[in-house]
Amino acid sequence: MKLKFKIVIGILSLVLLAQLIRPEELHSAKAQQVKRLAGVPEEVAKVLETSCFDCHSSQTSWLWFDRLTPVNFLVASHIRDGRKALDFSQWDSLATPKRNAMLYFALNGMLSKEMPLSSYTALHPAAKLDQNDIDLLRAYLLNTALSKPASTKSNSKGAAQSSVMEVKRSPNGIAYLPNYRNWKAISTTERFDNGTIRIIFGNPVAVKAIHEGKTNPWPDGTIFAKTAWKQEQGKDGSVYAGQFVQVEFMIKDVKQYAGTKGWGWARWKGENLLPYGKTVKFDSECISCHRPERDHDYVFTTPFDIKDLNKK
Amino acid sequence: MRLIFTAGLFALMILLMTGCKPNSVDRINTGASITSISRLPENPLEMIPMAVSLQPQRKTMSTLYGNGIAAKRLKDDADYAAGSVLYLVTWKGKADPDWFGARIPDRVMAIESVYFDQNGQKSYTFFKGPAWNSGLDLKKEERLSIILSIPVAKSP
Ligand code: HEC
Ligand code: HEC
Repeated sequence: MKLKFKIVIGILSLVLLAQLIRPEELHSAKAQQVKRLAGVPEEVAKVLETSCFDCHSSQTSWLWFDRLTPVNFLVASHIRDGRKALDFSQWDSLATPKRNAMLYFALNGMLSKEMPLSSYTALHPAAKLDQNDIDLLRAYLLNTALSKPASTKSNSKGAAQSSVMEVKRSPNGIAYLPNYRNWKAISTTERFDNGTIRIIFGNPVAVKAIHEGKTNPWPDGTIFAKTAWKQEQGKDGSVYAGQFVQVEFMIKDVKQYAGTKGWGWARWKGENLLPYGKTVKFDSECISCHRPERDHDYVFTTPFDIKDLNKK
Repeated sequence: MRLIFTAGLFALMILLMTGCKPNSVDRINTGASITSISRLPENPLEMIPMAVSLQPQRKTMSTLYGNGIAAKRLKDDADYAAGSVLYLVTWKGKADPDWFGARIPDRVMAIESVYFDQNGQKSYTFFKGPAWNSGLDLKKEERLSIILSIPVAKSP
Protein backbone atom coordinates (compact mmCIF):
# COMPACT_ATOMS: atom_id res chain seq x y z
CA MET A 1 0.00 0.00 0.00
CA LYS A 2 2.65 2.39 1.02
CA LEU A 3 4.80 1.50 -1.98
CA LYS A 4 1.92 2.04 -4.38
CA PHE A 5 1.30 5.42 -2.86
CA LYS A 6 4.93 6.35 -3.32
CA ILE A 7 4.88 5.33 -6.95
CA VAL A 8 1.78 7.35 -7.63
CA ILE A 9 3.32 10.38 -5.92
CA GLY A 10 6.51 9.84 -7.90
CA ILE A 11 4.76 9.75 -11.23
CA LEU A 12 2.57 12.66 -10.31
CA SER A 13 5.51 14.84 -9.43
CA LEU A 14 7.32 13.83 -12.62
CA VAL A 15 4.31 14.88 -14.65
CA LEU A 16 4.11 18.14 -12.74
CA LEU A 17 7.79 18.77 -13.25
CA ALA A 18 7.43 18.01 -16.93
CA GLN A 19 5.00 20.91 -17.14
CA LEU A 20 7.95 23.24 -16.70
CA ILE A 21 9.29 22.13 -20.05
CA ARG A 22 7.15 23.63 -22.76
CA PRO A 23 7.52 24.32 -26.45
CA GLU A 24 8.29 27.89 -27.40
CA GLU A 25 5.13 28.17 -29.45
CA LEU A 26 3.04 28.02 -26.32
CA HIS A 27 4.38 31.31 -25.02
CA SER A 28 3.40 33.17 -28.14
CA ALA A 29 0.10 31.34 -28.60
CA LYS A 30 -2.83 33.58 -28.00
CA ALA A 31 -6.39 33.46 -29.12
CA GLN A 32 -6.22 35.86 -32.02
CA GLN A 33 -9.17 37.55 -33.57
CA VAL A 34 -10.20 35.26 -36.39
CA LYS A 35 -10.30 36.93 -39.78
CA ARG A 36 -12.61 35.55 -42.43
CA LEU A 37 -11.08 34.40 -45.72
CA ALA A 38 -11.90 37.14 -48.18
CA GLY A 39 -13.77 36.36 -51.40
CA VAL A 40 -15.11 33.01 -50.22
CA PRO A 41 -18.71 32.28 -49.14
CA GLU A 42 -19.12 32.45 -45.40
CA GLU A 43 -20.09 28.76 -44.97
CA VAL A 44 -16.97 27.64 -46.81
CA ALA A 45 -14.71 29.94 -44.84
CA LYS A 46 -16.32 28.68 -41.66
CA VAL A 47 -15.56 25.02 -42.44
CA LEU A 48 -11.89 25.75 -43.01
CA GLU A 49 -11.73 27.91 -39.95
CA THR A 50 -13.15 25.36 -37.54
CA SER A 51 -11.45 22.30 -38.97
CA CYS A 52 -8.13 23.49 -40.30
CA PHE A 53 -7.00 26.83 -38.90
CA ASP A 54 -5.66 25.42 -35.65
CA CYS A 55 -2.77 23.89 -37.57
CA HIS A 56 -2.77 25.76 -40.86
CA SER A 57 -2.83 29.41 -39.87
CA SER A 58 -1.56 31.78 -37.24
CA GLN A 59 -4.99 31.67 -35.61
CA THR A 60 -4.36 28.72 -33.40
CA SER A 61 -6.32 28.18 -30.25
CA TRP A 62 -5.06 25.84 -27.56
CA LEU A 63 -7.45 23.94 -25.30
CA TRP A 64 -6.33 23.28 -21.73
CA PHE A 65 -5.16 19.74 -22.41
CA ASP A 66 -3.28 20.90 -25.51
CA ARG A 67 -1.13 22.88 -23.11
CA LEU A 68 -0.06 19.90 -21.03
CA THR A 69 3.42 18.47 -21.52
CA PRO A 70 3.92 16.23 -23.52
CA VAL A 71 0.78 16.91 -25.54
CA ASN A 72 1.85 20.49 -26.16
CA PHE A 73 4.99 19.35 -27.98
CA LEU A 74 2.88 17.29 -30.30
CA VAL A 75 0.52 20.16 -30.92
CA ALA A 76 3.40 22.54 -31.56
CA SER A 77 4.93 20.18 -34.08
CA HIS A 78 1.57 19.81 -35.84
CA ILE A 79 1.33 23.53 -36.20
CA ARG A 80 4.91 23.84 -37.40
CA ASP A 81 4.52 21.08 -40.01
CA GLY A 82 0.97 22.00 -40.85
CA ARG A 83 1.85 25.61 -41.62
CA LYS A 84 4.78 24.50 -43.71
CA ALA A 85 2.43 22.44 -45.89
CA LEU A 86 -0.43 24.91 -46.09
CA ASP A 87 -0.72 28.33 -44.48
CA PHE A 88 -3.94 30.31 -44.66
CA SER A 89 -2.41 33.32 -42.90
CA GLN A 90 -1.03 34.53 -46.21
CA TRP A 91 -4.46 34.47 -47.85
CA ASP A 92 -4.86 38.22 -48.16
CA SER A 93 -1.63 38.64 -50.05
CA LEU A 94 -2.45 35.98 -52.64
CA ALA A 95 -3.89 36.46 -56.11
CA THR A 96 -7.07 34.59 -57.05
CA PRO A 97 -5.42 31.69 -58.95
CA LYS A 98 -3.14 31.04 -55.96
CA ARG A 99 -6.09 31.15 -53.60
CA ASN A 100 -7.99 28.67 -55.73
CA ALA A 101 -4.98 26.38 -55.90
CA MET A 102 -4.84 26.51 -52.11
CA LEU A 103 -8.51 25.57 -51.83
CA TYR A 104 -8.06 22.64 -54.22
CA PHE A 105 -5.09 21.55 -52.15
CA ALA A 106 -7.21 21.76 -49.00
CA LEU A 107 -10.13 19.90 -50.58
CA ASN A 108 -7.85 17.09 -51.70
CA GLY A 109 -6.45 16.86 -48.19
CA MET A 110 -10.01 16.35 -46.93
CA LEU A 111 -10.95 13.89 -49.67
CA SER A 112 -7.92 11.75 -49.00
CA LYS A 113 -9.18 11.47 -45.41
CA GLU A 114 -5.78 12.65 -44.19
CA MET A 115 -7.08 15.93 -42.90
CA PRO A 116 -7.93 17.06 -40.33
CA LEU A 117 -5.60 14.71 -38.46
CA SER A 118 -7.65 12.03 -36.74
CA SER A 119 -5.64 12.40 -33.55
CA TYR A 120 -6.88 15.96 -33.46
CA THR A 121 -10.57 15.39 -34.21
CA ALA A 122 -10.64 12.69 -31.53
CA LEU A 123 -10.15 15.47 -28.99
CA HIS A 124 -11.64 18.38 -30.90
CA PRO A 125 -14.88 16.84 -32.19
CA ALA A 126 -16.14 20.17 -33.48
CA ALA A 127 -13.44 20.04 -36.14
CA LYS A 128 -14.69 16.78 -37.60
CA LEU A 129 -15.86 17.13 -41.17
CA ASP A 130 -19.05 15.66 -42.50
CA GLN A 131 -19.92 15.09 -46.15
CA ASN A 132 -21.84 18.34 -46.16
CA ASP A 133 -18.79 20.39 -45.28
CA ILE A 134 -16.77 18.78 -48.02
CA ASP A 135 -19.53 19.20 -50.59
CA LEU A 136 -19.77 22.89 -49.77
CA LEU A 137 -16.16 23.45 -50.74
CA ARG A 138 -16.42 21.15 -53.75
CA ALA A 139 -19.49 22.90 -55.09
CA TYR A 140 -17.90 26.29 -54.59
CA LEU A 141 -14.79 25.29 -56.51
CA LEU A 142 -16.79 23.72 -59.34
CA ASN A 143 -19.13 26.65 -59.80
CA THR A 144 -17.05 29.67 -59.09
CA ALA A 145 -13.42 28.99 -59.21
CA LEU A 146 -13.27 27.09 -62.49
CA SER A 147 -10.70 28.38 -64.90
CA LYS A 148 -11.90 28.64 -68.46
CA PRO A 149 -9.71 27.91 -71.47
CA ALA A 150 -8.49 30.96 -73.35
CA SER A 151 -10.26 31.46 -76.64
CA THR A 152 -8.54 30.77 -79.94
CA LYS A 153 -5.42 32.73 -80.40
CA SER A 154 -2.32 31.87 -82.29
CA ASN A 155 -0.22 29.76 -79.97
CA SER A 156 2.83 29.79 -82.18
CA LYS A 157 3.95 32.88 -80.33
CA GLY A 158 7.14 32.13 -78.50
CA ALA A 159 7.41 28.59 -79.80
CA ALA A 160 11.01 28.67 -78.79
CA GLN A 161 13.30 27.36 -81.44
CA SER A 162 16.34 27.68 -79.27
CA SER A 163 17.29 24.06 -78.92
CA VAL A 164 20.67 25.06 -77.60
CA MET A 165 19.27 27.30 -74.88
CA GLU A 166 21.34 27.39 -71.68
CA VAL A 167 19.08 26.12 -68.93
CA LYS A 168 20.06 26.82 -65.34
CA ARG A 169 20.09 24.09 -62.72
CA SER A 170 17.29 23.71 -60.21
CA PRO A 171 18.19 25.16 -56.76
CA ASN A 172 18.69 21.61 -55.44
CA GLY A 173 21.38 21.01 -58.07
CA ILE A 174 19.36 18.95 -60.54
CA ALA A 175 20.24 19.65 -64.17
CA TYR A 176 17.64 20.09 -66.90
CA LEU A 177 16.83 17.00 -69.01
CA PRO A 178 16.15 18.15 -72.57
CA ASN A 179 15.26 14.81 -74.19
CA TYR A 180 12.00 13.92 -72.52
CA ARG A 181 9.92 14.62 -75.65
CA ASN A 182 11.26 11.38 -77.09
CA TRP A 183 9.94 9.39 -74.13
CA LYS A 184 6.58 7.64 -74.10
CA ALA A 185 3.41 9.15 -72.71
CA ILE A 186 2.37 7.12 -69.68
CA SER A 187 -0.73 9.24 -69.12
CA THR A 188 -2.41 12.53 -69.86
CA THR A 189 -4.46 14.69 -67.55
CA GLU A 190 -6.95 17.45 -67.86
CA ARG A 191 -6.61 19.73 -64.85
CA PHE A 192 -9.78 21.75 -64.52
CA ASP A 193 -8.56 23.12 -61.21
CA ASN A 194 -5.96 25.26 -62.99
CA GLY A 195 -7.01 25.20 -66.63
CA THR A 196 -4.12 23.18 -67.98
CA ILE A 197 -3.67 20.02 -69.99
CA ARG A 198 -0.73 17.73 -69.35
CA ILE A 199 1.33 14.88 -70.70
CA ILE A 200 3.22 12.67 -68.29
CA PHE A 201 6.25 11.13 -69.95
CA GLY A 202 8.11 8.09 -68.64
CA ASN A 203 11.69 7.24 -69.59
CA PRO A 204 12.54 3.70 -70.82
CA VAL A 205 13.27 2.50 -67.27
CA ALA A 206 9.79 3.60 -66.21
CA VAL A 207 8.08 1.97 -69.18
CA LYS A 208 9.91 -1.31 -68.55
CA ALA A 209 8.99 -1.22 -64.85
CA ILE A 210 5.32 -0.75 -65.73
CA HIS A 211 5.44 -3.64 -68.15
CA GLU A 212 7.05 -5.90 -65.57
CA GLY A 213 4.64 -4.76 -62.91
CA LYS A 214 7.41 -3.43 -60.67
CA THR A 215 6.19 0.04 -59.87
CA ASN A 216 5.91 0.04 -56.11
CA PRO A 217 8.56 1.08 -55.43
CA TRP A 218 9.73 2.36 -58.81
CA PRO A 219 13.28 1.17 -59.68
CA ASP A 220 16.29 3.48 -59.53
CA GLY A 221 16.74 5.26 -62.84
CA THR A 222 13.01 5.88 -63.30
CA ILE A 223 12.29 9.41 -64.49
CA PHE A 224 8.96 11.12 -65.01
CA ALA A 225 8.52 14.38 -66.84
CA LYS A 226 5.22 16.16 -66.60
CA THR A 227 4.53 19.01 -69.02
CA ALA A 228 1.67 21.44 -68.63
CA TRP A 229 0.13 23.68 -71.26
CA LYS A 230 -2.62 26.26 -70.92
CA GLN A 231 -5.93 25.06 -72.34
CA GLU A 232 -6.88 26.81 -75.54
CA GLN A 233 -10.29 26.71 -77.17
CA GLY A 234 -10.17 25.53 -80.80
CA LYS A 235 -12.60 26.55 -83.55
CA ASP A 236 -14.10 23.07 -83.69
CA GLY A 237 -15.12 23.10 -80.01
CA SER A 238 -12.17 21.01 -78.88
CA VAL A 239 -9.67 22.25 -76.34
CA TYR A 240 -6.01 22.08 -77.29
CA ALA A 241 -2.63 22.59 -75.67
CA GLY A 242 -1.80 26.28 -75.93
CA GLN A 243 0.94 28.18 -74.21
CA PHE A 244 3.64 26.09 -72.53
CA VAL A 245 3.52 26.50 -68.75
CA GLN A 246 6.16 24.26 -67.21
CA VAL A 247 7.90 20.92 -67.10
CA GLU A 248 8.50 19.01 -63.85
CA PHE A 249 10.67 16.01 -63.17
CA MET A 250 10.84 13.24 -60.61
CA ILE A 251 14.09 11.28 -60.75
CA LYS A 252 14.35 8.08 -58.74
CA ASP A 253 17.58 7.30 -56.90
CA VAL A 254 17.09 5.90 -53.43
CA LYS A 255 20.63 6.74 -52.26
CA GLN A 256 21.26 10.06 -53.92
CA TYR A 257 17.85 11.44 -53.00
CA ALA A 258 17.48 9.73 -49.63
CA GLY A 259 16.56 13.06 -48.01
CA THR A 260 13.63 13.69 -50.37
CA LYS A 261 11.80 10.36 -50.32
CA GLY A 262 14.07 8.76 -52.90
CA TRP A 263 13.17 11.21 -55.67
CA GLY A 264 14.94 14.22 -57.12
CA TRP A 265 12.34 16.95 -57.73
CA ALA A 266 12.71 19.79 -60.21
CA ARG A 267 10.57 22.19 -62.17
CA TRP A 268 11.33 24.65 -64.99
CA LYS A 269 8.82 27.32 -65.89
CA GLY A 270 7.85 29.10 -69.09
CA GLU A 271 9.40 29.41 -72.51
CA ASN A 272 12.64 30.46 -70.88
CA LEU A 273 12.77 27.40 -68.65
CA LEU A 274 13.52 29.30 -65.48
CA PRO A 275 14.31 26.96 -62.59
CA TYR A 276 11.59 27.00 -59.94
CA GLY A 277 12.28 27.41 -56.23
CA LYS A 278 13.97 29.99 -54.04
CA THR A 279 15.94 27.76 -51.72
CA VAL A 280 17.58 24.33 -51.83
CA LYS A 281 14.66 22.97 -49.81
CA PHE A 282 11.98 24.18 -52.24
CA ASP A 283 11.14 20.54 -52.93
CA SER A 284 9.46 20.13 -49.54
CA GLU A 285 6.49 21.77 -51.26
CA CYS A 286 6.43 19.03 -53.91
CA ILE A 287 6.71 16.32 -51.28
CA SER A 288 3.96 17.67 -49.06
CA CYS A 289 1.44 17.66 -51.90
CA HIS A 290 2.56 14.23 -53.12
CA ARG A 291 2.46 12.87 -49.56
CA PRO A 292 -1.02 11.31 -49.77
CA GLU A 293 0.56 8.95 -52.33
CA ARG A 294 3.24 7.75 -49.93
CA ASP A 295 1.94 4.19 -50.20
CA HIS A 296 2.47 4.44 -53.95
CA ASP A 297 6.06 5.68 -53.84
CA TYR A 298 4.84 9.32 -53.96
CA VAL A 299 3.52 8.93 -57.52
CA PHE A 300 0.00 10.01 -58.46
CA THR A 301 -0.17 8.74 -62.01
CA THR A 302 -1.64 5.34 -62.84
CA PRO A 303 0.29 4.69 -66.04
CA PHE A 304 -0.65 2.94 -69.28
CA ASP A 305 0.89 -0.43 -69.88
CA ILE A 306 2.62 0.01 -73.25
CA LYS A 307 2.83 -3.33 -75.05
CA ASP A 308 4.36 -4.20 -78.38
CA LEU A 309 1.30 -5.66 -80.14
CA ASN A 310 3.42 -7.57 -82.63
CA LYS A 311 5.34 -9.43 -79.98
CA LYS A 312 3.45 -12.28 -78.42
CA MET B 1 -7.65 12.13 -12.79
CA ARG B 2 -5.61 14.50 -14.84
CA LEU B 3 -2.69 12.10 -14.69
CA ILE B 4 -4.64 9.19 -16.06
CA PHE B 5 -6.15 11.42 -18.66
CA THR B 6 -2.83 12.79 -19.81
CA ALA B 7 -1.19 9.39 -19.90
CA GLY B 8 -4.12 7.90 -21.78
CA LEU B 9 -4.20 10.81 -24.17
CA PHE B 10 -0.55 10.44 -24.93
CA ALA B 11 -0.87 6.73 -25.62
CA LEU B 12 -3.90 7.35 -27.80
CA MET B 13 -2.09 9.96 -29.83
CA ILE B 14 0.90 7.76 -30.45
CA LEU B 15 -1.44 5.00 -31.49
CA LEU B 16 -3.30 7.20 -33.93
CA MET B 17 -0.15 8.73 -35.34
CA THR B 18 1.51 5.43 -36.07
CA GLY B 19 -1.64 3.83 -37.40
CA CYS B 20 -0.61 2.04 -40.56
CA LYS B 21 -2.21 1.59 -43.92
CA PRO B 22 -1.85 -1.60 -45.94
CA ASN B 23 0.80 -1.28 -48.62
CA SER B 24 -1.02 -1.50 -51.87
CA VAL B 25 -0.04 -3.23 -55.08
CA ASP B 26 1.11 -1.77 -58.39
CA ARG B 27 -1.29 0.63 -59.96
CA ILE B 28 -1.59 0.45 -63.73
CA ASN B 29 -4.32 2.00 -65.84
CA THR B 30 -4.98 -1.25 -67.68
CA GLY B 31 -8.43 -0.18 -68.83
CA ALA B 32 -6.94 2.69 -70.80
CA SER B 33 -4.00 0.73 -72.19
CA ILE B 34 -4.21 -0.66 -75.68
CA THR B 35 -3.82 -4.41 -75.42
CA SER B 36 -5.90 -5.86 -78.19
CA ILE B 37 -7.97 -4.02 -80.73
CA SER B 38 -8.70 -6.03 -83.83
CA ARG B 39 -6.75 -5.18 -86.98
CA LEU B 40 -4.61 -2.56 -85.26
CA PRO B 41 -1.19 -3.09 -86.89
CA GLU B 42 0.95 -1.48 -84.20
CA ASN B 43 0.59 0.11 -80.78
CA PRO B 44 0.30 3.89 -81.08
CA LEU B 45 1.25 4.23 -77.40
CA GLU B 46 4.77 3.26 -78.45
CA MET B 47 5.04 6.32 -80.68
CA ILE B 48 5.96 9.90 -79.85
CA PRO B 49 3.18 11.89 -78.19
CA MET B 50 2.69 15.11 -80.16
CA ALA B 51 -0.52 16.76 -79.05
CA VAL B 52 -3.33 16.50 -76.53
CA SER B 53 -6.91 17.68 -76.79
CA LEU B 54 -10.24 17.55 -74.98
CA GLN B 55 -13.75 17.33 -76.35
CA PRO B 56 -15.76 18.84 -73.51
CA GLN B 57 -19.26 17.94 -74.79
CA ARG B 58 -18.37 14.30 -75.32
CA LYS B 59 -16.21 14.16 -72.20
CA THR B 60 -13.41 12.53 -74.14
CA MET B 61 -9.71 13.23 -74.35
CA SER B 62 -7.33 12.50 -77.21
CA THR B 63 -3.61 12.19 -77.74
CA LEU B 64 -1.98 12.51 -81.16
CA TYR B 65 0.99 10.19 -81.69
CA GLY B 66 3.48 10.18 -84.53
CA ASN B 67 6.44 8.25 -85.85
CA GLY B 68 9.87 9.86 -86.07
CA ILE B 69 9.16 11.56 -89.39
CA ALA B 70 5.87 13.05 -88.22
CA ALA B 71 7.43 14.18 -84.93
CA LYS B 72 9.73 16.55 -86.82
CA ARG B 73 6.78 18.88 -86.79
CA LEU B 74 7.33 19.39 -83.06
CA LYS B 75 10.56 21.22 -83.86
CA ASP B 76 10.04 22.99 -87.16
CA ASP B 77 6.27 23.30 -87.51
CA ALA B 78 6.65 21.88 -91.03
CA ASP B 79 3.97 19.93 -92.92
CA TYR B 80 3.86 16.19 -92.42
CA ALA B 81 6.36 14.67 -94.85
CA ALA B 82 6.03 11.48 -96.91
CA GLY B 83 6.41 8.47 -94.62
CA SER B 84 4.69 10.15 -91.68
CA VAL B 85 2.42 8.00 -89.55
CA LEU B 86 -0.12 9.56 -87.20
CA TYR B 87 -2.46 8.00 -84.69
CA LEU B 88 -5.17 9.78 -82.78
CA VAL B 89 -6.23 7.82 -79.71
CA THR B 90 -9.43 8.97 -78.01
CA TRP B 91 -10.43 7.90 -74.53
CA LYS B 92 -13.50 8.47 -72.46
CA GLY B 93 -12.29 10.60 -69.57
CA LYS B 94 -12.92 9.90 -65.91
CA ALA B 95 -12.37 11.74 -62.67
CA ASP B 96 -8.93 11.13 -61.18
CA PRO B 97 -9.69 9.17 -57.99
CA ASP B 98 -6.59 10.64 -56.30
CA TRP B 99 -6.95 14.32 -57.14
CA PHE B 100 -10.15 16.31 -57.25
CA GLY B 101 -9.48 18.75 -60.06
CA ALA B 102 -8.13 16.28 -62.62
CA ARG B 103 -9.54 13.97 -65.29
CA ILE B 104 -7.62 11.02 -66.69
CA PRO B 105 -8.15 8.50 -69.52
CA ASP B 106 -10.64 5.72 -68.87
CA ARG B 107 -11.32 3.30 -71.73
CA VAL B 108 -10.38 3.68 -75.39
CA MET B 109 -13.24 4.99 -77.50
CA ALA B 110 -11.59 5.08 -80.90
CA ILE B 111 -8.27 4.99 -82.67
CA GLU B 112 -7.74 6.68 -86.02
CA SER B 113 -4.64 6.46 -88.16
CA VAL B 114 -3.30 8.50 -91.05
CA TYR B 115 -0.53 7.09 -93.22
CA PHE B 116 1.42 9.19 -95.72
CA ASP B 117 2.89 6.99 -98.42
CA GLN B 118 6.10 7.75 -100.30
CA ASN B 119 4.24 10.07 -102.66
CA GLY B 120 2.59 11.90 -99.81
CA GLN B 121 -0.81 10.26 -100.43
CA LYS B 122 -2.86 10.03 -97.25
CA SER B 123 -4.91 7.07 -96.11
CA TYR B 124 -7.25 7.16 -93.12
CA THR B 125 -8.31 4.15 -91.05
CA PHE B 126 -10.71 3.91 -88.15
CA PHE B 127 -10.51 1.33 -85.34
CA LYS B 128 -13.33 0.87 -82.90
CA GLY B 129 -12.36 0.86 -79.22
CA PRO B 130 -14.14 -0.93 -76.34
CA ALA B 131 -15.82 2.29 -75.26
CA TRP B 132 -17.06 3.22 -78.74
CA ASN B 133 -20.17 5.34 -78.77
CA SER B 134 -22.32 4.07 -81.63
CA GLY B 135 -24.21 7.35 -81.79
CA LEU B 136 -21.15 9.06 -83.27
CA ASP B 137 -20.74 9.44 -86.99
CA LEU B 138 -17.17 10.15 -87.99
CA LYS B 139 -16.86 11.29 -91.59
CA LYS B 140 -13.59 10.30 -93.13
CA GLU B 141 -12.78 13.53 -94.98
CA GLU B 142 -13.73 15.67 -92.03
CA ARG B 143 -11.71 13.55 -89.60
CA LEU B 144 -8.69 13.64 -91.85
CA SER B 145 -8.67 17.40 -91.97
CA ILE B 146 -9.26 17.69 -88.22
CA ILE B 147 -6.42 15.32 -87.40
CA LEU B 148 -3.96 17.03 -89.73
CA SER B 149 -4.73 20.44 -88.29
CA ILE B 150 -4.39 19.56 -84.60
CA PRO B 151 -1.94 22.09 -83.15
CA VAL B 152 1.05 20.19 -81.79
CA ALA B 153 2.00 20.74 -78.14
CA LYS B 154 5.20 22.77 -78.30
CA SER B 155 7.76 22.87 -75.56
CA PRO B 156 11.00 24.86 -75.44
C1 HEC C 1 -4.00 18.92 -35.74
C2 HEC C 1 -3.44 19.73 -36.73
C3 HEC C 1 -4.03 19.74 -38.13
C4 HEC C 1 -5.33 20.03 -38.50
C5 HEC C 1 -6.49 20.39 -37.61
C6 HEC C 1 -5.35 20.00 -39.94
N1 HEC C 1 -4.10 19.68 -40.43
FE1 HEC C 1 -3.55 19.55 -42.37
N2 HEC C 1 -1.65 19.06 -41.81
C7 HEC C 1 -1.20 18.96 -40.51
C8 HEC C 1 0.19 18.55 -40.51
C9 HEC C 1 1.05 18.33 -39.29
C10 HEC C 1 0.57 18.43 -41.87
C11 HEC C 1 1.92 18.07 -42.42
C12 HEC C 1 2.07 16.60 -42.62
C13 HEC C 1 3.49 16.26 -42.95
O1 HEC C 1 4.08 16.95 -43.78
O2 HEC C 1 3.98 15.28 -42.39
C14 HEC C 1 -0.61 18.74 -42.66
C15 HEC C 1 -0.66 18.71 -44.03
C16 HEC C 1 -1.75 19.07 -44.79
C17 HEC C 1 -1.79 19.08 -46.23
C18 HEC C 1 -0.64 18.66 -47.11
C19 HEC C 1 -0.85 17.29 -47.73
C20 HEC C 1 -0.95 16.16 -46.75
O3 HEC C 1 -2.00 15.51 -46.73
O4 HEC C 1 0.01 15.91 -46.02
C21 HEC C 1 -3.02 19.51 -46.60
C22 HEC C 1 -3.55 19.68 -48.02
C23 HEC C 1 -3.78 19.77 -45.40
N3 HEC C 1 -2.97 19.49 -44.32
C24 HEC C 1 -5.09 20.22 -45.36
C25 HEC C 1 -5.83 20.35 -44.21
C26 HEC C 1 -7.23 20.74 -44.20
C27 HEC C 1 -8.06 21.07 -45.43
C28 HEC C 1 -7.62 20.75 -42.91
C29 HEC C 1 -9.00 21.08 -42.37
C30 HEC C 1 -10.07 20.29 -42.88
C31 HEC C 1 -6.48 20.37 -42.09
N4 HEC C 1 -5.41 20.13 -42.92
C32 HEC C 1 -6.48 20.26 -40.71
C33 HEC C 1 -1.93 19.21 -39.37
C34 HEC C 1 -3.28 19.52 -39.34
C1 HEC D 1 -0.65 21.16 -55.11
C2 HEC D 1 -0.24 19.81 -55.27
C3 HEC D 1 1.08 19.50 -55.98
C4 HEC D 1 2.30 20.08 -55.80
C5 HEC D 1 2.68 21.25 -54.88
C6 HEC D 1 3.20 19.38 -56.67
N1 HEC D 1 2.55 18.38 -57.33
FE1 HEC D 1 3.36 17.08 -58.68
N2 HEC D 1 1.51 16.27 -59.01
C7 HEC D 1 0.35 16.65 -58.38
C8 HEC D 1 -0.75 15.87 -58.94
C9 HEC D 1 -2.21 15.98 -58.51
C10 HEC D 1 -0.21 15.04 -59.93
C11 HEC D 1 -0.95 14.05 -60.85
C12 HEC D 1 -1.99 14.68 -61.71
C13 HEC D 1 -1.52 15.71 -62.70
O1 HEC D 1 -1.26 16.85 -62.33
O2 HEC D 1 -1.39 15.42 -63.87
C14 HEC D 1 1.23 15.30 -59.93
C15 HEC D 1 2.13 14.63 -60.74
C16 HEC D 1 3.49 14.91 -60.81
C17 HEC D 1 4.43 14.23 -61.68
C18 HEC D 1 4.12 13.03 -62.54
C19 HEC D 1 4.34 11.76 -61.73
C20 HEC D 1 3.25 11.55 -60.67
O3 HEC D 1 3.55 11.63 -59.47
O4 HEC D 1 2.09 11.35 -61.06
C21 HEC D 1 5.64 14.84 -61.50
C22 HEC D 1 6.94 14.48 -62.21
C23 HEC D 1 5.47 15.89 -60.52
N3 HEC D 1 4.14 15.91 -60.11
C24 HEC D 1 6.50 16.71 -60.07
C25 HEC D 1 6.33 17.69 -59.09
C26 HEC D 1 7.39 18.57 -58.65
C27 HEC D 1 8.84 18.52 -59.12
C28 HEC D 1 6.84 19.42 -57.73
C29 HEC D 1 7.50 20.56 -56.96
C30 HEC D 1 8.27 21.52 -57.70
C31 HEC D 1 5.43 19.06 -57.61
N4 HEC D 1 5.16 18.00 -58.44
C32 HEC D 1 4.54 19.70 -56.77
C33 HEC D 1 0.22 17.58 -57.39
C34 HEC D 1 1.24 18.42 -56.94
